[in-house]
Amino acid sequence: MLSYILRRLSHTVLVIIAVSLIIFFAIRLTGDPVSIMFGAGEPSQQAVEELTAKLGLDKPVWEQYIIFMKDLVTLDFGTSYRSNSPVLGMLLERAWPTIALALGGMAVALLIAVPLGILSAIYKGKSIDVFSRIFSLLGISFPNFWLAFMLILIFAVQLKWLPVSGFDGFSSLILPSIALGLILSGILVRLIRTSMLEVLKMQYVTTARAKGIREWLVIIRHAFRNALLPTVTFVGLQFGGLLGGAVIVEQVFSWPGIGRLIVDSINQRDYPVVQGGVILLALIMILVNLIVDLCYSLINPKIRTGRGDN
Amino acid sequence: MKKQKWIALLLVCMMIILSACSGGTSTKNDSKNSSKYSGENSAVKRGNELAIRVAGDPQNWDPIDTFLLSWSTVATSVFEGLVSRSLDLEIQPGLAESWEYKDEKTIVFQLRQGVTFHNGEPFNAEAVKFTFDRLLGDEGQKGPQYSNYTSIDNVEVTGEYEVTMHLNSIDPVLLTKLSGYGAVIVPPKYIQEQGAENFDMKPVGTGPFKMTDYQRDKQVVIERYEDYWNKDAVKLDKVTFKVIPETATALAELQTGNIDIMTRLEVSQAATAEGTDFIELMDVSTPTAYSIRFDTAQEPVDDVRVRQAINYAIDKETIVKEILAGYGNLISSFQSNLSFGYNKDLEPYPYDPEKAKKLLAEANIPEGTTLEFFIPGTDGTFKEIAQAVAFYLEEVGLKASINSVENTTFQSELIPQGKAGHMYKNGWGGWTLDFDNTAYLMYHEGEFWNPSFKNEKVEQLLAAERATIDNDERQKVFKELTEVLYEEATEVNLYSEVEIYGVNKRIKGFQPPHDGRFRFEGVTVE
Repeated sequence: MLSYILRRLSHTVLVIIAVSLIIFFAIRLTGDPVSIMFGAGEPSQQAVEELTAKLGLDKPVWEQYIIFMKDLVTLDFGTSYRSNSPVLGMLLERAWPTIALALGGMAVALLIAVPLGILSAIYKGKSIDVFSRIFSLLGISFPNFWLAFMLILIFAVQLKWLPVSGFDGFSSLILPSIALGLILSGILVRLIRTSMLEVLKMQYVTTARAKGIREWLVIIRHAFRNALLPTVTFVGLQFGGLLGGAVIVEQVFSWPGIGRLIVDSINQRDYPVVQGGVILLALIMILVNLIVDLCYSLINPKIRTGRGDN
Repeated sequence: MKKQKWIALLLVCMMIILSACSGGTSTKNDSKNSSKYSGENSAVKRGNELAIRVAGDPQNWDPIDTFLLSWSTVATSVFEGLVSRSLDLEIQPGLAESWEYKDEKTIVFQLRQGVTFHNGEPFNAEAVKFTFDRLLGDEGQKGPQYSNYTSIDNVEVTGEYEVTMHLNSIDPVLLTKLSGYGAVIVPPKYIQEQGAENFDMKPVGTGPFKMTDYQRDKQVVIERYEDYWNKDAVKLDKVTFKVIPETATALAELQTGNIDIMTRLEVSQAATAEGTDFIELMDVSTPTAYSIRFDTAQEPVDDVRVRQAINYAIDKETIVKEILAGYGNLISSFQSNLSFGYNKDLEPYPYDPEKAKKLLAEANIPEGTTLEFFIPGTDGTFKEIAQAVAFYLEEVGLKASINSVENTTFQSELIPQGKAGHMYKNGWGGWTLDFDNTAYLMYHEGEFWNPSFKNEKVEQLLAAERATIDNDERQKVFKELTEVLYEEATEVNLYSEVEIYGVNKRIKGFQPPHDGRFRFEGVTVE
């Protein structure tokens, strides 16, 4: 197990190098940050050159990359052009709101999708199944900014149960989590239903039932556990996506998350923040994938021991 | 059967949800029927504190590092300059009690005594010198503010509370500029001891409020400075600026009383806001002007007749009335009527499609000629305007191909490099409220924002306007300049912006600022 984790972590280095190469050169294609920093002013040529030199942008781009990677090894993500603050600090400020939102969204998605998915598989074709299918269709089709505004209007403006926006304690987490989670649950319900249906057809389920094991035990222990594999993969990937990709929801709820920071920084061509943010997200994604793979082996011991079906 | 029941139930649920929301999602067309929202005014609970929505965060509070309106919205209460600009846009004494021009290039300022910075450091002539040395030195030159102050040669300390400013060239707009961002007075000891990076995040000035909490992209809190030199004017204890990028969210916050003042309320939201008992709308004209600028290097808009024709072809009045619901002022030159140099005698081009067709025929422009029209992709209102413009052009036989592009690239590359098509959206803040800055940057040959236009007469007038501090003389020059530019039809001047504020009625004495720089002197709450 330990050697497996170590092997996986060694891949991480390669992935980070690849990601850093792509983001480092891609962000430089978007244009020159110096002209943006001077805004509408009339900087002298000397001032432009001095600022360019101060930011290290006067060096050949390969040299810039090597400096960047050297700093990265010591966890120095550089300094933001816009705020003059260390990038790592800026990212860490955002880490907690980002993780809280991703966890919240995922929790909402799972709380809805797991029971609904299982029930609709068991009662295939019955009303609960029809409901779940309509629910997931709606979930998939609703644009999340629309849903977010609807939630605000109903629960914050009309009913006044919850705060409109901001990041202030648990109650402020509820609406954005629902906005994120509801849409995710739409897809998740379908996935769980399909895999449950497949598993319920398996012989071992029939055998379990024949043994006289109580139905709910058959469903939870024998069927659901096996149906979980594709779900775990999906949830893992989505969780990574939620960390950096919840930009619209972050925007609507004025949530100080990493996604918004990266988008703002791209617009301002704040290279160090974009680079740092993307690399951090890549690291988290790798970590989540590793956890997903480890979960596999917990769910299905065959994977852990590396043995095949025969 | 069962299936149908479920579907029916779902549909009913959906309808309930939608009807519950109709009050808040009203668009311009149905907004007049929107239901009256009359919740309790929970903002009252905040007592003697205000909460204000701001759309963005400047990220850095050092005055020499910024040119953003989001900076001055907050920082105008934290910092002060030698002079300040009142809400009525009059230049008035700030940290200087009086000043006198010794000659056109020498000004002596008598400083206010007994003023302290928020950290207790005394304000004196040394602080003024430090501020300008910093602005004009290596540090300032790497920032965006420096270029506004290049006419200042140096500041000399001529007494404990007296400084003499020596200019290297005549600058008629200097006093206005001294009320601007880059010239606010900063504390020497604090910056030298704590470093510039600390100052970026924890700014210290002499203003009526001190910054006590700053959480990036979340909120900024300022609290009343008890030792302020004019503290009787300040009644509020505390103001929290909340960063809320989305306008729809901001409106919801205003309706629930979580904020007292919402800036940049959209025209489409006006009726919804007005439908709430405790909210009133205030509007204020701003110096920001919008136009469709021509790239005069490109055929066929290199022909002045074509540019004039397009000016006649577009019905600006209808655009302002229909798309902006009247929240905009027609302009005849690229500045608002608040600006010094605005020519009131010059009427905007009238809507005259026949004259447009005649001019196009004179210039031998074939029917169906396509003009590339560039606009930034993020601006929804301007997209509507662009579509209206395309319609008007079609009426006179021209075709407009609208290119929606990423804003940053548009501003910092496409326009300056002359790659923004035949015509493009041009917006300009005009913060000095004097045509000097705008005219120079827009029409002087070789400027960053002027990729192609050149005109001898314009150059002469620009030079003449800068050669004197006699405002009557300058007014005359500007009159001529605006007339030349009008004839040259360098752009289609559309309108100057009117900004709408949503304000909780518990606030008294609040006057929305023309220049976006909030002032809280005299503001009270009920």
